[in-house]
Amino acid sequence: MKEHKILVTGTVGAGKTTAIGCVSEIEPVVTDVYNSDTSIDKARTTVGLDFGQLTLDNGDRVRLFGTPGQARFDFLWKILARNALGLIVLMDNSRPNPLSDLSVYLDGFAEALRTLPCVVGVGRMEAHPVPSLDDYAECLAATGRVFPILGVDVRKRADVVLLIDTLLMQLEADLRGETE
Amino acid sequence: MSIRHGLSRTAIAHAQREVQKLVDELIGVTVAVVSTADGFDVASAGTGDADPVRVAAMASSIVAIGGVVSQEGGLGRHKSVMILTESGFAIFCSVHRRDVELVINVLARDSAVPALVAYRATQLGRTLAEA
Repeated sequence: MKEHKILVTGTVGAGKTTAIGCVSEIEPVVTDVYNSDTSIDKARTTVGLDFGQLTLDNGDRVRLFGTPGQARFDFLWKILARNALGLIVLMDNSRPNPLSDLSVYLDGFAEALRTLPCVVGVGRMEAHPVPSLDDYAECLAATGRVFPILGVDVRKRADVVLLIDTLLMQLEADLRGETE
Repeated sequence: MSIRHGLSRTAIAHAQREVQKLVDELIGVTVAVVSTADGFDVASAGTGDADPVRVAAMASSIVAIGGVVSQEGGLGRHKSVMILTESGFAIFCSVHRRDVELVINVLARDSAVPALVAYRATQLGRTLAEA
């Protein structure tokens, strides 16, 4: 059995806590508090970390760590990224400038992204189809990166598992590439 | 971005006055910050380089994590976290008000007396809870 540490990050309100809670087999650890920032339309926000655990069909165990979304917690991003095997970046397409949001996380995790596989999950695409997944791909390509980008609804377990599976497939492909 | 923490002007003025007194009166204290539970500074005073904005964000994370540890162990509502370092210490006290949760953060060098700083921070928490 392998153990994987996967980090879930992304914009405030993209559903990081929801995604982890949706797939976790244990009661997730949640550090949400009352949100006093009126520019964010939600009652509570994560200020520490989220934690959940999931056993895959092959018996591998995934430990999911979620970060706070706001850049003022970027000190935690670096701490939580330590020893992670991969990164899931969740975006909220209903926000004013999702591509600019993506850049915040590409910059914030630039060091980790030099070596770690990453998958981008874009939420609320049905009501907000723009930017498209192609737009995200172009934004990534402009920084010299190629990551899988998926439209997801993190309230659905299957969507979250798909993000994790995609990340692990990428990890496996990277490992194979190294050994060949 | 605007912050809605629900604290009255009187309470903020009280917090500002008290953190300044804490820094002025206690030897070794480099910064004292009162912040919201989600990491926004409400009042601060200091003599060092520490940025109250960053201290407030870090404190909210530390206190939140302390809270879930306390919950996990069935230890009741969290009160404070102390971090001892090679050349000083940091104290983070939770302030449970009816309207808003606050955090008091005090960073101090090793010339400060931990028990005294903890006592004063707790005292400030009590007055802030009622202000």
